[in-house]
Amino acid sequence: MKHHDTITGLVLLGLCAIGYWLTTDFGEVPAMLSQNVPPTFFPRLVLAVVAVLSLVLVATGIGREPEPSAPLPVAFWTTVAIIASAAVLTGLLGTLLTLGIIAVALPVAWGERRYGHIGALAVCLPAAIYLVFTLGLDVRFPAGRILDLLMQT
Amino acid sequence: MDLGLEYALPVLTDPMVIGLIVAGTVVGVVIGALPGLSSSMGVALLLPFSLYLEPIPAIALLSALYCAGTFGGSITAILINAPGAPPAVATAFDGYPMAVKGEAGRALGIAAVSSVSGGILSVIVLLFAAPLLARVAYSFGPPEYFALGVFALSMLASISGEAPLKNLIGGCLGLLIATVGIDLTTGVDRFTFGVPELYEGIQFIPVLIGLFAVTELLSQAQDLGRERIAVAVKALKLPSLDDFRRVRGAILRSSGIGIFVGVLPAEGSTMAAMIGYNEAKRWSKTPEEFGKGTIEGVAGPEAANNAATGGAMVPTLALGIPGSATAAVILGGLQVQGLRPGPYLFEEQPGLLYGIFFAMLLANVLFLFIGLAGAKVFSRISLVPRTFLWPTVFALCFVGAYGLNQSMVDVWIMIIAGLVGFVLKRNGFGPAPIIMGVVLGGLVETSLAQSMIIFEQQWTGFLASPIAMTFFALAVISLSGAQIRATLARLLSRGGRTA
Repeated sequence: MKHHDTITGLVLLGLCAIGYWLTTDFGEVPAMLSQNVPPTFFPRLVLAVVAVLSLVLVATGIGREPEPSAPLPVAFWTTVAIIASAAVLTGLLGTLLTLGIIAVALPVAWGERRYGHIGALAVCLPAAIYLVFTLGLDVRFPAGRILDLLMQT
Repeated sequence: MDLGLEYALPVLTDPMVIGLIVAGTVVGVVIGALPGLSSSMGVALLLPFSLYLEPIPAIALLSALYCAGTFGGSITAILINAPGAPPAVATAFDGYPMAVKGEAGRALGIAAVSSVSGGILSVIVLLFAAPLLARVAYSFGPPEYFALGVFALSMLASISGEAPLKNLIGGCLGLLIATVGIDLTTGVDRFTFGVPELYEGIQFIPVLIGLFAVTELLSQAQDLGRERIAVAVKALKLPSLDDFRRVRGAILRSSGIGIFVGVLPAEGSTMAAMIGYNEAKRWSKTPEEFGKGTIEGVAGPEAANNAATGGAMVPTLALGIPGSATAAVILGGLQVQGLRPGPYLFEEQPGLLYGIFFAMLLANVLFLFIGLAGAKVFSRISLVPRTFLWPTVFALCFVGAYGLNQSMVDVWIMIIAGLVGFVLKRNGFGPAPIIMGVVLGGLVETSLAQSMIIFEQQWTGFLASPIAMTFFALAVISLSGAQIRATLARLLSRGGRTA
């Protein structure tokens, strides 16, 4: 469900307050640089502008119903979990293996059942990335802790 | 007038540059033709890989992709009624009805010829206008640049006109993202939460990829049920002489509109296409045919959206102020390459600038042939199952975000930017204003800080600069544009009733 603009505006106002509070924690400016504009100046100015715009959003949203939107399907949440786990899995399994797993997990989560095609993608995608980026452009991807351990043993 | 051929020829006789322009054109048409992938996203995805190249080939590649991607969107708009990119939305209004009537080839031919005409006219304007504008910009100091930055941000109020307020908030959020890291004038770290990787600021590329590509991936995940059916492309044919006579007025008018809209900071191809379509309808002798499959309804938006590409590069190169979302990405690319867009770039890197001009010119000519010859293939590419396309896109996102600094923090930033971008998009905030804010953040903050030092912390110092005051006035007009339009319409309708 799309949020009401009033709620969106209120959330933004809350975020502005948090942002302002964070600016109070900025370090001290050395005395020799104190004639410069303080580091809090610009972020606070922008936060103030966002706060004013958010107030307008709150005001204009009152009495206006948001357009209904469909609830998020299970596939969406599965996708979020898969892409977030990609960053976690990379540390363990390494980039190429992780991308191979993603190449299986995402199509399956999205309802694809042609397993031959999925298998081909899972092999070809990491292989192509290895060829182009590691061999071609010298990008060193993390090997992952498990492979590191295996190499040590 | 110096056309800069002495700088351009070495660039254009380099086989590698030519090869990259051809590659950028093909990739651009393919990306433009794939629903969900836009030229902005294509340039964002390719940007990290272009950094392995020298600046001239890199920017030539991105510029070619920008031009071709804008045209590529029309292929799917016509054949499957699913515009590959937002600028092609208006093309579908008449392009798809033409395809349903069995005139897909004619519609594609009109789209290609109109796009090429608009694109070439805009590159010619770019070639002459950008150096002139750059010469004007020599007289700009920090106060003028700050005012120009404010004007550019104010223009966010009028892009994708539905949510001006949200666009402005998005732009400000981008400015806030740009403040993360060590403040260069005082050495104080801001919003870093003790994470050392953030001391140099949030990297532009992961944010860009996250906001454009990961956000779109998540959007696709919530809409898996939609099926796309392609209309068969019968024999492709170029517009006949009669067709050309019918649309030449619309092409010229829409090209002018596209160039003008493109030059305005922050405005881009989508708005140009919508205005181009409306104007084509207004000037048409048969406006009642619009929406039912008329060639003018294809020519108008296609000429306008491609003309906006060259127009958008004018302020991007001459002032360092992006003329569109994709131009903002290219501007970010120039900055990451260590180049400083603006008037001095014309002195320091004439080869780069003329390389861009001629890359865009060549791309426009190339996609006429590639687009027409390959339309059947591209229409099939557009039907590649999303279940295979998007895992590939995600892999490119991952590698692109990681590759630049070889840091997993950048991958996390990309994923977080994608999630935040999705939540914002669902609530009516587009990614383009945020990117604009991120790109303009450094310029706006630095020029404001320098101005305040010059003015001894007195805001009234801005009053002494007529140029700055002009930009502030334009910003006020831009912000109140919707209100002014509504008032004028009310007055006009009242006048009409009285008469």
